[in-house]
Amino acid sequence: MSLKKFSELFGDLDSINSTNNKIEILKNYFLSNDPIDNSWAIYLLTGKSNKRFISGRYLKNLFSQIYEYPQWLIDTCYLKVGDSAEVITLLLKNKTNSRRKKLSNISLNELLSKTIPALSKLNEEEKNLEIKNLWETLPEDEHLIFNKILTGTFRVGVSIGLITKSISKLINIDEEIISHRLMGDFKPSIDSYEFLINKNINLQELNSKPFPFLLANTIEDKIFKNSINDFQFEWKYDGIRMQLIKRSGNVSLWTRGQELVNESFPELVEKMSYIKDDFVLDGELLVWNFKEQIAFDFSLLQKRINRKSPTRSIQIKYPIIFIAYDLLEINGRDIREIKLENRRIELEKYFSKWQNKTENNISDIFKICDLIFPNDWPDALTYKEKSRENNTEGLIIKKKTSTYSSGRKKGIWWKYKVDPMQLDAVLIYAKGGSGRRAGLYTDYSFALWKDKELIKFASAYSGLTNIEIKELDKWIRKNTIEKFGPVRSLKPEMVFEISFEKIQISKRHKSGIAVRFPRITKWRKDKKINDADSLENAYELMKKIS
Amino acid sequence: MRTKQEYLIRYKDGNLYCELADIWIDPSKPVKKALITHAHFDHFTFGCEEYISTKETAILLKERIGDNIKIKTFEYGEEFKINGIIISFHPSGHILGSSQIRFIFAEEKWLISGDFKLQKDQTCKQYEIVKTDYLISECTFGLPIFKWDESNKIANDISKWITNSPEKTSLLFCYSLGKAQRLLNEISQTDFKGNIYSHGSIHKMNNSYRELGIDIKDTIKIENKKKIDELKGSLILLPPSLSKGSYLKNFKNIQTAFASGWMSIRALRKRSGYDKGFAISDHADWDGILEVVKNSEAKNVFFHHGDSEALSKYLVEKESINVLLFGK
Repeated sequence: MSLKKFSELFGDLDSINSTNNKIEILKNYFLSNDPIDNSWAIYLLTGKSNKRFISGRYLKNLFSQIYEYPQWLIDTCYLKVGDSAEVITLLLKNKTNSRRKKLSNISLNELLSKTIPALSKLNEEEKNLEIKNLWETLPEDEHLIFNKILTGTFRVGVSIGLITKSISKLINIDEEIISHRLMGDFKPSIDSYEFLINKNINLQELNSKPFPFLLANTIEDKIFKNSINDFQFEWKYDGIRMQLIKRSGNVSLWTRGQELVNESFPELVEKMSYIKDDFVLDGELLVWNFKEQIAFDFSLLQKRINRKSPTRSIQIKYPIIFIAYDLLEINGRDIREIKLENRRIELEKYFSKWQNKTENNISDIFKICDLIFPNDWPDALTYKEKSRENNTEGLIIKKKTSTYSSGRKKGIWWKYKVDPMQLDAVLIYAKGGSGRRAGLYTDYSFALWKDKELIKFASAYSGLTNIEIKELDKWIRKNTIEKFGPVRSLKPEMVFEISFEKIQISKRHKSGIAVRFPRITKWRKDKKINDADSLENAYELMKKIS
Repeated sequence: MRTKQEYLIRYKDGNLYCELADIWIDPSKPVKKALITHAHFDHFTFGCEEYISTKETAILLKERIGDNIKIKTFEYGEEFKINGIIISFHPSGHILGSSQIRFIFAEEKWLISGDFKLQKDQTCKQYEIVKTDYLISECTFGLPIFKWDESNKIANDISKWITNSPEKTSLLFCYSLGKAQRLLNEISQTDFKGNIYSHGSIHKMNNSYRELGIDIKDTIKIENKKKIDELKGSLILLPPSLSKGSYLKNFKNIQTAFASGWMSIRALRKRSGYDKGFAISDHADWDGILEVVKNSEAKNVFFHHGDSEALSKYLVEKESINVLLFGK
């Protein structure tokens, strides 16, 4: 019934790789704890909220102040550990042992619903005193969880799917029902937990919640053996995946990240509420170029995502559109088990009805996605190559006979992305990583040639295997020219193939170009630095695309 | 202030060297005369003309490189002279036979800490405080994030880890000399009463320890075990070199763990590839290093074997101790 139990659960989940064991451990945890603690545990484990009560920096400063520890020493430790909450936990071990007061036995519920929220009502001095007090009264094994919750950095290798499975096993109810119950807002309470483990399925209760999203897999070669007529082809938009729900007259917009975003897009909520039917649509939200009938760049959409209650002028400056590609429910009837080709017929039928019968014009904010009809696979490839022209990322290919089941089931939907753009670049800087990559140099900067100079053009973190990271880390330590804080400048020697999605002019960068989603796709040990690409090559690439 | 060349002991070709006695300490390449602090592989090399060590280290050394080496042994605390320099070994608490080495010349004392720990360990002699003017100390775990738990707590965690998964075979990876014997000693005092197996390399060291009068629980050599199904619920000690590659395919339904001080850091634990990490070390933690520096009363300290930047700065700022750098 306590934080202790949850700390143990965290320790177990953190040190076990087998999925089955994790499910078993979770099941046992739920069985042996209070409903209210369980609901908080689910809240934390599913990452429903990672509210930051204080920053990692604040935590480190506070520790430094209380225990008279030099700040630079804490910073050095941080470089090794890569997580503020954990550094302070380890340092506390050195400090609180001797000054222990009577240990408190606090429940997860008490900590999360009372103790921590109360901190934000205190002034700084009181707050610092209270944190110190908690450090000195909480048992040592619970410090990590406490510090992580405090800094909003609680994470453990458990997916929503795993939580879903363990609850499903616990009460013997289909995973899909549990998954649905877990969708959207989850407010920790006895009621929300009881609802989750209720053995009676009441569809009414699931009213405002989205269905589990069906996800696309990366294209596989074997698909090309099938007849092209077995599939439906759509453009792959680079927007926000969203379910647009209207039930009992109320509209809700749910992102795939399970956030309710009605407040960010009020114009869409308003227009959709004019439609007479109830429905659940699956689609993509974009900032739309109405003149050319293509999507604007994702960066414009970012101007809308985090802004609640946007002004009228923002709405006009960044006009949004919802493009529906699937109909999942109509007037209370769940049609996910109907074949895709038939759902598409329904979608088209209702869309034309809504267009004609809705009093206000809805087509300036809502449409259904156009289908593409390639003649054969080579033709599909030609379409894919053209996808950059209309600002899409490639194609989505869906099996016409598929039903809409949850998760990333194989053999239903595929994404066929345009080949990324690539340049060979020279590694010139490296910086220490954080989290799991702490203590290793894992953040890299790459340069292209301009005359005889190497100019930085992109930074990338991902793409190397763990073995390659270790190998490169060794090389970096041996080939450092200079250290500036955590950054090292390196002997130009290593060439990497860097892939990216977009390339455009940027005045902010010395190179004059900016690339989107740069990542390492190959360590070109076969290449010398003189074989690397030049900025001129990059400009050519840009021209070719636009 | 003297130049680096004038120090009694200095760094030469990456090794500690005393020119006046023409003697090397734990050299990594063959030399004429080598003082050996302990028998871990990174502290000695094959092919030296003469080795000098404690009696225990000599026996372990012979077990590892063969009987036909020339080796002179001394008791802890026994003083001997080379070229006018008085030299003696003192317990360092790292593993069986491990020692600090003290040099006295011209009324000046030098102490090489060797690898050391202050924690209790029933398989070797407890660390002895030795006063000195100059201290050359290792600092493998020279950051305050390292603070060891009592070894019996770790042993109980290991015992729980095994007994909580009775269906599994628990593979615990650890260094075959020192750590393995310490773990065996500690684990035999816990609630875990199942079978313990060990790899040949560990088994060999267990026998050497026993011959030297250390009470080590009897283990079964894993190579002699044919029926894998019978390993359920038991513990197997293996050297870390076997954790990668195909060796693990010899077992069914396993869980793995690594016993090392580094395992106190989550990122390293995750990256190590083991299911679990037990933070137990035969080196001193931060407090341990500070204590040794203080107790030695050294006015001048050198560090090696580790990242010494933070530790040096801390000692200079907080304790006003003169920390020197080796000219390498």
